[in-house]
Amino acid sequence: MKAASVGDTISSDVAGRATKTRIAGLLFGIGFGFWLCWTRFTSYDVILGGLRFERLYLWLMFGMAVVTAAIGLQVLRAAGARTWIDETRVDWTTTPVRTAHLVGSAMFGVGWAVAGTCPGPAAAQIGQGHLAGLFTAAGIFAGLTFQGWVSQRRVAAPAVSPGACAQAQ
Amino acid sequence: MMVVADQCPWYVAGPLLALLVVGLRWTGNLHLGALGSFVATERWMARPRALPSWRVFFFAGTIMGGLLYALVTGTLHFTFRNGTFDQMGFVAGRGLAARASLLLAAGAFIGFGARMAGGCTSGHGVCGVAQRSPGSVASTATFVLVAVVVAHLLPVALKVGAP
Repeated sequence: MKAASVGDTISSDVAGRATKTRIAGLLFGIGFGFWLCWTRFTSYDVILGGLRFERLYLWLMFGMAVVTAAIGLQVLRAAGARTWIDETRVDWTTTPVRTAHLVGSAMFGVGWAVAGTCPGPAAAQIGQGHLAGLFTAAGIFAGLTFQGWVSQRRVAAPAVSPGACAQAQ
Repeated sequence: MMVVADQCPWYVAGPLLALLVVGLRWTGNLHLGALGSFVATERWMARPRALPSWRVFFFAGTIMGGLLYALVTGTLHFTFRNGTFDQMGFVAGRGLAARASLLLAAGAFIGFGARMAGGCTSGHGVCGVAQRSPGSVASTATFVLVAVVVAHLLPVALKVGAP
């Protein structure tokens, strides 16, 4: 009886964490989508203007974001902060450079410059009413599905696993 | 809501994005990545389970965030117009189908390439570089370099045969 109740507590804990994580995902996603529109990164001309160095906004924002995020993350980890959801230590892993990083990113760079959008903005465009995002997003889904299929068949040249740059779990 | 009507200044936008990156990490060691949310959504659609992962919720949230911005600023109107993309010689005057085809093709490059590389501008470019992950730094250097070159070539390459 005791073992069963302990098991129940554990499984309800796990379910509670999963629910909290999903709520966090939704809220941070909303913040991200709002941010993408506010910064105008859902605009083709803002992205292309940045890539052509006609406007420095993209690069200044990027530099500022990376520096502040790096400082924030380092401070959290150095202070031994624990996560809000499950009290584990704030930490992350890093990945060494692989060929797939270079080949895949080169392809991604071509698509980014031609569509003038990347995955995040393509999703936010749809919500904003910019229906061009529907075509880009459909293309992204097709491309990533095809990549998954190819990498399953060609184990000799596996891709870096999705979101793999630093999952600390 | 006049504050959010104009483009967010870069020195505010940068720290705000960092806040999302650090906030997700602090919440549950979660990694902000738009491509990962697409991958999770595709997986969930292919095999729908009882409840999708947090990344699928992040994907839905990104769309909802766009809608929220449009509602707050009163700018919600549905359009296929896409700035000067529509004026590229390659697609100009050829109707929606030509523009849609080019976006689908470019999107396929984005999806295939970014999944192969394990991330995109958010996951590698901002989050991974801030975590000083070598793979992310190499990825970001590569896609930035290629995108800058292609963006400079576009007016030359795709305007060939323009009216």
